[in-house]
Amino acid sequence: MIDLDVAQRNLWQDIDPHGNLLYCFSCSTCVVGCPASNAIPPLLIRNLVRSVTLGLEDDLLDNDTPWTCVTCSRCEEMCPMGVDPFEIVLALRRWQCRNDETRIPMAAAEIYKRGYTQPVDKAQEVRASVGLTEPLPTINRLPELHQQFKDMLMQVEIIHNADYMFED
Amino acid sequence: MAYGLFLGCNMPAIRPDVEKAIRLTMPALGVELLDMEGYVCCPAFGTFPSLDEEAHLAVSAWNLSIGEKKGVDILVECGSCYRSLRSGKRCLDQHEAHRKRANELLAKTGRSYEGKATPRHISDVLLHEVGLSTIRAAVKKPLGGLRAVVQYPCHTLFPHKTVGFEESSVRPHGLADLVEALGASVEHFSAEYQCCGGAGGFHGSSKAEANAFAKTKLDAIIAETRADLIVVSCITCLMHLDNVQKELSRDGASYAIPVFDYNQLLALCMGFDAQQVASLCTVPRQAIVNALR
Ligand code: SF4
Ligand code: SF4
Repeated sequence: MIDLDVAQRNLWQDIDPHGNLLYCFSCSTCVVGCPASNAIPPLLIRNLVRSVTLGLEDDLLDNDTPWTCVTCSRCEEMCPMGVDPFEIVLALRRWQCRNDETRIPMAAAEIYKRGYTQPVDKAQEVRASVGLTEPLPTINRLPELHQQFKDMLMQVEIIHNADYMFED
Repeated sequence: MAYGLFLGCNMPAIRPDVEKAIRLTMPALGVELLDMEGYVCCPAFGTFPSLDEEAHLAVSAWNLSIGEKKGVDILVECGSCYRSLRSGKRCLDQHEAHRKRANELLAKTGRSYEGKATPRHISDVLLHEVGLSTIRAAVKKPLGGLRAVVQYPCHTLFPHKTVGFEESSVRPHGLADLVEALGASVEHFSAEYQCCGGAGGFHGSSKAEANAFAKTKLDAIIAETRADLIVVSCITCLMHLDNVQKELSRDGASYAIPVFDYNQLLALCMGFDAQQVASLCTVPRQAIVNALR
């Protein structure tokens, strides 16, 4: 049973200050076209939007499904009410990160440290096998620029506050 | 015609044969490619965009300003990179406060963001800048007799207002036109516009379901077409549709349709060395490479 008496009715302002999600009329267009609605547990974007407008904070904080989104943006294209559900997915992830440091994506720290989500600078062997022998001008080869990149990101509050996750 | 070549992460690290194909074919078609010194991850949606808007736009501005400083637009093959850079540009262009903050953050680099460099997907550049007739004229070994199906990257279709370069996001035909310019015939099937399912957290967190999702697409290709190959124009679609066939084959079934990035096929048709432009794959490509000998 959902107890609406303990719900945070202004939660939407914290997640989607533009208020686009208030226009949702629960048609489920965003769910039927969503690849990740096939996941277990399914990503049901309509239900997430509903939970935000109802203010079900605890349910949403524990909900992992926004992270299964494949970012295809079908929902954004097809939603008849201009809710931009994909933007709600990202907004929910950011809200979870703000409330729970353990949600901060490790891949973001990886980009901070090395510039990339893959070992671009360590792929010499496979690159040479296809005739790519010139070194790439990757950011780790340009230490001064890399430091500027790190300094830039450290000015962002949430990164500054969780700096131990970003520095080696 | 010069562009900054935005490589992203997966192509240069895991599938550099696609990078090689792009570096060989595009200049031969009159498109000069410039390296983007100190570029970083797009940022991928699962990283800074899922953490903080200010950090997201700072990283977008970081990459876009490299093209801007060179005075060129940015060429992108990876769908996710393309969509991320397009969204970043749109947001920075539309919101002065975001633009101002991103420029404060960029200040120390000596670069700035004014919105002058536009990210262009490689299919868009091939269709609308190079043109089908130039491509046709460059083909030395046509794909005559081969039948292909195509996979449109979602990130080049949706949302149309941010990423679209075809008239319709729900009836795209650009990639099919490009494949036909190489001499192959393109067959159509019911799941043609279905996502590959390879991006984001779906495959990582729900592998069996994501594989079943890709299986519906592959089964439709097998049941409804006589496809010899699948053609994509996105590194995620390429790696996922290629690798998932091996995962599905483990379950007793056998899936073995070779998958190519468009520029790999183009490179083969233009006579470039298969070892350099199309050697990294899970499903063997030899039958197609041999047919072009
Ligand atoms: S498509 Fe839009 S209006 Fe319909 S349920 Fe989804 S968010 Fe709500
Ligand atoms: S963008 Fe995400 S939520 Fe929207 S349809 Fe695609 S996978 Fe589903």
